[in-house]
Amino acid sequence: MIPRNVRRALAGFSWPIYVLLYTPLALVAWYSFAPAPHTQGLSVYAYGVMLHDHSVFAALRRSLILAIGSAIISTVLGVLLGYGLSRFRTPGAKGVLANMPSLIIYTPIIMPSLVFGISELIFFNFVHRFTGLLGAGLGTMMIAHITFQVPYVTLTVFARLAGLDQNLFDAAHDLYANGLKSFWHLIVPVVQPAIIGGFLLGITLSIDDFTISFFTAGPGSVTLPIYIYGAIARKGVTPEINAIGTLMIGAVILLAVLHFIITRHRARGAELAAKGTI
Amino acid sequence: MKRLSLLAAGALALGLVAPQMAKADQPTLNLFIWSDYISESIIDGFELQCNCKVVETDYESNAEMEAKLRAGGDSQYDVVVPSSYYVPEMVDEGLLQPVDHTALTNFKNLAARFQNPTYDPGDKYSIPYQWGTTGIVYDPSKIKDPGDGWGILFDPKVNPNYPFVIPKGEGRDQIGAACAYLGYGFNCSDPKQWIEAAKLIKATKARPNFAGFVDETPARDQMKHGLIAASMAYNGDIAGCKADGTCLKLKFYLPKQGSEIWVDTMAIPAHAPHPDLANEFINYILDASVGASLSNFNQYASPNAAAQPQLSGIMSSELITPTAEQMKNLQFLAPLTGAKYKLFNQIWTSVLQ
Amino acid sequence: MSGAVTEVALEQARQRRRLWMTSGPGLFWIVLFLLIPSLVLLGIAFMSADDYGAPILPLSLQPFQQVAGFSLLGWDAGNISILLRSLQQAGIATLVSAVLSYPLVFFILSRPEPIRPLLLLFIVLPSWTNQVVRTYAWLELLGPNAPLTWVAHHLHLVAPDLGIAPGSFAVTTGLAYNYLPYMIVPLYASAEKLDWTLVEAGRDLYASGAKLFFHTVFPQTLPGLLSGVIFVAIPAFGDYVVPQLLGGDKALMIGSLIANQFTETPDWPYGAALTLIMLVVTGLGLVAFRVLSRRLGGAEEASI
Repeated sequence: MIPRNVRRALAGFSWPIYVLLYTPLALVAWYSFAPAPHTQGLSVYAYGVMLHDHSVFAALRRSLILAIGSAIISTVLGVLLGYGLSRFRTPGAKGVLANMPSLIIYTPIIMPSLVFGISELIFFNFVHRFTGLLGAGLGTMMIAHITFQVPYVTLTVFARLAGLDQNLFDAAHDLYANGLKSFWHLIVPVVQPAIIGGFLLGITLSIDDFTISFFTAGPGSVTLPIYIYGAIARKGVTPEINAIGTLMIGAVILLAVLHFIITRHRARGAELAAKGTI
Repeated sequence: MKRLSLLAAGALALGLVAPQMAKADQPTLNLFIWSDYISESIIDGFELQCNCKVVETDYESNAEMEAKLRAGGDSQYDVVVPSSYYVPEMVDEGLLQPVDHTALTNFKNLAARFQNPTYDPGDKYSIPYQWGTTGIVYDPSKIKDPGDGWGILFDPKVNPNYPFVIPKGEGRDQIGAACAYLGYGFNCSDPKQWIEAAKLIKATKARPNFAGFVDETPARDQMKHGLIAASMAYNGDIAGCKADGTCLKLKFYLPKQGSEIWVDTMAIPAHAPHPDLANEFINYILDASVGASLSNFNQYASPNAAAQPQLSGIMSSELITPTAEQMKNLQFLAPLTGAKYKLFNQIWTSVLQ
Repeated sequence: MSGAVTEVALEQARQRRRLWMTSGPGLFWIVLFLLIPSLVLLGIAFMSADDYGAPILPLSLQPFQQVAGFSLLGWDAGNISILLRSLQQAGIATLVSAVLSYPLVFFILSRPEPIRPLLLLFIVLPSWTNQVVRTYAWLELLGPNAPLTWVAHHLHLVAPDLGIAPGSFAVTTGLAYNYLPYMIVPLYASAEKLDWTLVEAGRDLYASGAKLFFHTVFPQTLPGLLSGVIFVAIPAFGDYVVPQLLGGDKALMIGSLIANQFTETPDWPYGAALTLIMLVVTGLGLVAFRVLSRRLGGAEEASI
């Protein structure tokens, strides 16, 4: 396919790009081992400072609550939505009404985070002013995070279901009269990889976000990204910030590798299972 | 199997949320304050006294604080710390509620000259917290001859090469400094002078060594790391880093052309969830020994007369307590409200963009 | 006969009910918490501001005059140059990521099949860390006293004592870095389906490699490229974090300008009007690319 000399040129070009992609992250890790004051050589001093900073732990706890909580709810909403759209929509329908669900689902994906965040800020503010509900804080951040995760979970589940044999649904229909039962016993196991994938994707999206969190945050809802951003704006990049950054990068790499292994493994398992039963 | 891991994740999430909920029945004071402006021991002391929890959230400028209050924060925070000239405007906007003087048994500790100020007659909405000045901090290893005025920021001949910053904030100090440099005095109030000052700042912004809009405290920290060479600064911020030895080489001065003296105050947002706790907190800060430990931590001068005997020696330095000679060049910023505020804000907005 | 008709109608009604029960909650959530809020935001663009920047009646077009550059300092090209600068930054970042993506994608395709997903994963991976972390990481390379800044000083590209960051080069770099995976993934998807027989056939026709590429490979991967352009250009145009951390307010981009109107110098109607303009520009770009990709015969990507 690709001639050997071209392949060599491609490799010569690409490996440096891979290195460049990881250089900034590696430097963050490297500088996190900065020497302690008045000493020389590498040290874990910055990690000690970080461990003694209780605001870092509070921020970490909030980030985890936010990521896991929002991913659970968006997985539930997204799985139902993806299932419903793939299963119960009249095929081939045209017109605005029939396309409405797709339009709604693509809005959070296509809307710039900044517009997303500011819209939420204003909306929560008005609701709070007139009803006393939805005061800015971890709760409003959770709502916003669920909103931007739902479409991704939906698309993941939809893609999985769209690839399935229509016979499976008919078999489910014959086996279980109850729609809920057929959903639970047949559909859920089959789309399990997509559900897990969607859930992990939700967590990743939540951890990745800064802009939307920033505009929906309230008193005492500083999460790790907001903490880092504030600290950099105030003091510039310090070894302590690098230590936190290093741990975050490490956690994401771990999560990604886990995701990679699980989805590949599960996908193969589920395919085999599906082939075997039907 | 899969359900199991989902369940595990759910349990983990609940485990994380549960302690949060358990704490909810203990009252919480939401303190919204400038970064690095109160020590943990003072907060711990108050938590013990009131059997409550204090949640501190930080801001870097009056404008940032006010914007948050406007966006619904006025019903979420219990105590905020606006500068004196910001108080009338926030009152005018309905963002503050009166303090409860019956709860302020320590009010008598305030020095007479800080009681009943012009910006808040009868101390109705605000109680002094700290006071200080705004001047220039620079790195003398880079800028050898800064002069004695605002030229270090606005005159390309004084600092042609080294990176410097101007605070972002609400623009009052910045326009004031540019006005003073142009000879209109720090407290210029004629819109024509404002516009001329704004144009000077816009021209300054276009200089290659202008490193951005950075507020005073972050700018000091960047200068400690050698990233910039000149900035506006609060006197106490510099006293603080001199005391802990992190900025011994930096120099601070009050420009002769005029600069600002200010009082930071404690105030209670209009719809604060815990106004009683807020008043209790203000009264706690007015206590003589709390007031002293506050100033000893912040390195800012205290408006608390009863606290003076317990203040550390550095308080008498010229950096923290300006001399009579310096006082002549220092001015309180006049408050701006209503249409004039809007006008000023529009001018400043056009400087930033 | 009529029994069969009612049966069909009943079944259809049942389907509709199931559709609403399953997809209703998710759709309702997005409508309530995103569509309605963004409509409120756009509505504010047509209101007046009170003295403190909060939206009030009457309706007014003044926010748009401000957007056009009219202020108390007279007319100023500031806003137009901010808009152009944002478009330019987003454009360069998109171009850079496209130019980098082609070799990378074909490099991955030239490797044995089992390791391709892994190679792809390693490109996508940095974009899964938090945006603040992966953006500030560039300060370690581009900030004052950082390695690349040191190199730039010696090449006399940057004045002494200043860093590459803050500056517009740093912003472009940050944007390209942040959004590169958004270009690679769709491009990879379309390159994977490449019909190599066409390339082989073209090899005899075209002498030079460049000609071969532009006549055989490029047209086939165009749909992927166009999706990539949309996925990179839209978020890069409205980005907030990168210009804030790497641009230092010196060369404001539209994202920071909008955010300012809701934070430091509040003027909600003006901020909303700026947002509307940003969305219109984004929307125009989106429509233009859809038309372009349809005209060029790009396959519609599989969608809900």
